[in-house]
Amino acid sequence: MKRIYFQLIGLSLLLSIPVLSLGQESDPTPTEEQYYRISTVPIPEGINLEVGGVTSLPDGSLAVCVRRGDVWIIENPTLQDGRNAEFKLFASGLHEPLGILYKEGSLYISQRGELTKLTDTNGDRIADKYETVYAWPISGHYHEYSFGPKLAPDGGLFVSGNVAFGDEEWWRGESRVPWRGWITKIYEDGTLEPWATGMRSPAGMGMVDGELFYTDNQGDWVGSGGVWHVKKGVFTGHPAGLTWTGEENSPVQVSTEELYERVGPRKKKVNGRYVKPENVLNEDQPDFLYQVKKDIPELVLPAVWLPHGVLGISNSEIVVIKDENTFGPFQDQLLVGDQGQSKIMRVVLEKVNGEYQGVAFDFIGGFQSGVMRMDWGMGNNLFVGETNRGWGSAGTTNAGLQFVSWTGQTPFEMHTVSAKPDGFEITFTKPVDKKLAEDLDSYSGRSYIYKYHPVYGSPPVNMEDIIFKGVKVAEDGMSVRLVVENMRQYHLHEIYVLGLRSAEAKERLLHPAAYYTLNNIPKGKKLELSSLSTKRAGAGLKKKVEVAKPTKKEVVKPADKKGSQASTSKKVTDSTKKEVAMAEREAPTYAEIEGMLVRNACTACHKQNKRVVGPSFQAISKRKYSNERIVELIYRPEPQNWPEYAVPMAAMPQVPRKDALMIAAWINSLRYQ
Amino acid sequence: MRIIFSVILLSLWGTQMTAQTRLSLQNMDDFRDQAGNWQIVGTVSMNPNVDIHSKPAPPPLIEEKKKKKKKKQNVQAPPTPPAPKAVRFQQGTGILLNMNTEEIKDHLITSWEHGDIELSLEVMIPRGSNSGIYLQGRYEVQLLDSWGVKNPKFSDIGGIYRNWEETPGNIFRGKAPASNPAKAPGLWQKIHLLFRAPTFDEAGNKITNAKFDFVDLNGVRIHNNVEVPLPTGGPIENNEVAMGPLMIQGDHGPVAFKNVEYTLLSNLDASVSDLTYKAYKGSFGSIEDFLSSEPTYQGSSDKINCLVTYEENNYGLTYKGKLHIKETNTYEFTFAYTGGGVFSLDGERLVDYQSGDAYRFDKATKTLEAGVYPFTIHNFKTAGWRPPRLGLYLKTKNTHASQFHAYESFPRNADMVSPIYVDAGASPKLLRAFLDFEGDRNRRITHNIGVASPSGINYAFDLGRGNLVCGWRGRFVDATPMWFERGDGSFRPRGAVQFTFLNQPLAHLSNENEPFPTRAIDYTPGGYQISETDGLPTFMYTYKGVAVSSAIQPDGDGKYLTHSLKIENPDSTLSLYYKLAEGEDIQQVEKGLYRIVGKEYFIELDKKYAAVIREQGEVQELMVPISSELTYKFMW
Repeated sequence: MKRIYFQLIGLSLLLSIPVLSLGQESDPTPTEEQYYRISTVPIPEGINLEVGGVTSLPDGSLAVCVRRGDVWIIENPTLQDGRNAEFKLFASGLHEPLGILYKEGSLYISQRGELTKLTDTNGDRIADKYETVYAWPISGHYHEYSFGPKLAPDGGLFVSGNVAFGDEEWWRGESRVPWRGWITKIYEDGTLEPWATGMRSPAGMGMVDGELFYTDNQGDWVGSGGVWHVKKGVFTGHPAGLTWTGEENSPVQVSTEELYERVGPRKKKVNGRYVKPENVLNEDQPDFLYQVKKDIPELVLPAVWLPHGVLGISNSEIVVIKDENTFGPFQDQLLVGDQGQSKIMRVVLEKVNGEYQGVAFDFIGGFQSGVMRMDWGMGNNLFVGETNRGWGSAGTTNAGLQFVSWTGQTPFEMHTVSAKPDGFEITFTKPVDKKLAEDLDSYSGRSYIYKYHPVYGSPPVNMEDIIFKGVKVAEDGMSVRLVVENMRQYHLHEIYVLGLRSAEAKERLLHPAAYYTLNNIPKGKKLELSSLSTKRAGAGLKKKVEVAKPTKKEVVKPADKKGSQASTSKKVTDSTKKEVAMAEREAPTYAEIEGMLVRNACTACHKQNKRVVGPSFQAISKRKYSNERIVELIYRPEPQNWPEYAVPMAAMPQVPRKDALMIAAWINSLRYQ
Repeated sequence: MRIIFSVILLSLWGTQMTAQTRLSLQNMDDFRDQAGNWQIVGTVSMNPNVDIHSKPAPPPLIEEKKKKKKKKQNVQAPPTPPAPKAVRFQQGTGILLNMNTEEIKDHLITSWEHGDIELSLEVMIPRGSNSGIYLQGRYEVQLLDSWGVKNPKFSDIGGIYRNWEETPGNIFRGKAPASNPAKAPGLWQKIHLLFRAPTFDEAGNKITNAKFDFVDLNGVRIHNNVEVPLPTGGPIENNEVAMGPLMIQGDHGPVAFKNVEYTLLSNLDASVSDLTYKAYKGSFGSIEDFLSSEPTYQGSSDKINCLVTYEENNYGLTYKGKLHIKETNTYEFTFAYTGGGVFSLDGERLVDYQSGDAYRFDKATKTLEAGVYPFTIHNFKTAGWRPPRLGLYLKTKNTHASQFHAYESFPRNADMVSPIYVDAGASPKLLRAFLDFEGDRNRRITHNIGVASPSGINYAFDLGRGNLVCGWRGRFVDATPMWFERGDGSFRPRGAVQFTFLNQPLAHLSNENEPFPTRAIDYTPGGYQISETDGLPTFMYTYKGVAVSSAIQPDGDGKYLTHSLKIENPDSTLSLYYKLAEGEDIQQVEKGLYRIVGKEYFIELDKKYAAVIREQGEVQELMVPISSELTYKFMW
């Protein structure tokens, strides 16, 4: 019922934008479908498959637990030979299970209040033994969901637990009973080992090389979603679980009081009632995680931020791409689901100064419902278990099961981005066009950080543009080394490579933005400046795009599809063409506004012709809003105009008016396509 | 949240203020003279195993036998001890009892008459007995021992009885209760109803039929706005009238009543006039934000209506009008709205809640003399997720509520959602969910499982304490609170839920006075095993090192549950007790059979067990030592 707002990140003003004009108006915009195909598993009528967990079984079937408490075993889930999958009810009556694991003939499931082992002892493929491995206390608050288990190398089972919320302070996460807001490790002998705390809504865990990682969602004390590495005894930031650090077996020592002394909880009463803490605009000295960490060493930074509203709004499961060459060129990288935006991101970790950090990219979107769970199935298909009930998601169906298959085509993507002592190295899946890659105008970016405060989420702050000093392109064109003047430790660095094209097919990047979390800057040799290209495209490759102020009298002929510049204008008197002309007047090309769409995070929720989180740009164009009206709606959205979309758009007053007008003009130019 | 609001809304229609009359039951003064089969007594006890029609030896305790068999046994049986009586009573007051014979069997008729009436009472029916409550002496709500009946008919308890007319147009076939929340014979059962008398024009022609707004049996709604077009069978007189006495059937067997309370109701005689409004557009934080600004619309109307703003959200609205009161009385206003609201009467602010996103039903009580009172309503809303709602209701203790708003200003389905019900099919259905003990959120059972059996009997088991916490018959649960939107993790049993107690029932007690632990101590839940033959679970847990299995078996007729506990590895160093029941008073009906007074259920166990009743603070407890096994019946 509570709406999930996607929040857009603030941005730097670019009053005039250098845009590459390659004379390729028909430049193909690649689509995810060309490389990764989403298939939907048909579900028998009457089954409500609100997926809480998926896991593959050794025989190729899939076990799925659903929020309504059933466990289904699905045979032939990949629909081989065009045959439907078979659904068999293995277990039922569980309490909102949100995770499932297969281990030695049994299924292990997290219910709200316990870890349960389900076993079929008589061979009819129906569970008859529901063993309580460990029951933990819960207070009975709705938000006390439990997730997992994930199997540790020593056979222990990791389980995570959401916080409850206050009765009066409904915005404040609290841990009413032991180990809420914690990840615990449970052993088959019925013992529990508290592992780490600081979790708020730890819906997604994943094992990477035997190490535990988890995702959390934006919320109080959590500036944005992200991926955390969870070693035993760490504190990831939400204070609720600190209530129990005084317990004998707590591996975390810092107390609530110690944290609150460092960062105030802002518990404030006005007229006898608590007031919700709000973000302080232009705050003098906000707290950042890295600063607080100096006083509270158990506090850990997220290995990778997943900027809220861009790379998801409610991050979920983490899986590792297996090292078989059947899912494209991204072996050993991580995939992270997102419930609210119904998509999957790609994350690459590296160890710098002994700590994990890394980069995140968009990977694939457009799932029919919220991406909750993932597991690999037969043939290296990635199963995606979905639900959005009560939470809302870009995908419009309530629930379902889909799988992602690689088409065998290699997308032109950044393979990874790694930190260097003086900048970044970007590797690609295909060689880049060297001429473009050597042009510093092909690159842009900015860096910022999130606040650490008791407020729900954080705007990105301390934002500044990344200054690229030079670039060195590898001989084989498979990587570039970027030297950056203003590397800022602890900040999230967004890098856009909008100007790059592949060497052969001149493709655009499928996803031209990378989001690197620079917790540590590696030491080592810096590149000689003399070895770098510092070239910026000359006048011939660059033009300044400015938005002409439309005048009422000037009516522009629709742009000739084949080649006329958008700026070509001619007065016409034919009133039947007037509307078309109005719409397309001064309409910029996609190439001209692509950068704006990415920087302003429009593309996190809107695509040109496809409904994603929000309506497609084309669908917006059909509403026949004037350009001015679109600008107004960017600044003050009216979600009630789009009742069929679950995630209402947040106001974006930070979009520069010039950008907004150009985007509006471009949107309206799509109306007659 | 929506579900909660609809409950509030329901309660607005469903309950009336209490101005009720309580029958003293100190004497028979409230009733007309009768043959003597009705009397006032002090206590009554009915044995659920003894049918009023049979005078045989007591049937075996655990297994029930068919009547025919009993008769046969009777002939062949050797002399037996004196047969237990179906009904026992003691002198005193407070309980109205019918003990009719073949000859003395009058109906009981009140000395007073009623039209519209809200009536509540408790009734105890012995096994096999039959009676009925005739509203106005003409419309019968049936009373019958309907224990365990799965598909109740008009002739079962709570049914609106049929008539026996055969002329077309005069036939009324009765109306079965929506479900059967009946309890076992020998237990007090609660009936609560609101009846509206038929109405007539000046010429005496009927305008509206008699109607039951609701009938609740043991807290479960069994009739919901049901009209009765004709008198039912056996009326005091076969006509329809505005006023008539209450009549209770006395010729079909013993029956007892207590706590009889009623309120006579009429329509409210009050109206509003001179209604004018001003509507404002904007996002307002308080009424001061718009009161002095220019209204977007203004006008007059017959009824209060929040839709005159033409806005879904971000509006302000002021209504002014006059309330005409015809009779001096204490009046209760219900001011209902989304957003924020202020309601002032005669210059006095009776409701003042200036938040833009609330959803409230505020009540205010005021004693008013006959006269005309100016009133003002302010309403504003800044919550896009809430629909516009504005309503004003008024009633007194002796009237139905009237509303002064337009239908669309507060549609009655405002917050309803399609419910999600779960039932057993051909095999049992198990479902874990939070369960609020006796509906109390503060006593939420977090590790709870509900079990529905195809025989129509359901129960809930507290896995965190190893305790059978309640049973109920009929439909299983409403899972809407858990499965609609995010949900709150809980379900609600459907039907009349018989709660037991919240405790860990198995405990080592060092002496007979030591209390049972309230929380699980030295207790580890083990889960459950599903039986291959009947699909029912056997729960497993360990307590102080002993492994316990606990199986709860419904009987075939859906009447009671048999709970069997086994201790796999008895430990003679422990002195283990099992708590069977807790109540304000526990009465031994006969050896091995106990009635838990107040909560109204029976515990029955073999005479071989040394069950004891002990005082524990305010309550009594029934407990039994257990070493290796225990079997008992939970009947209600």
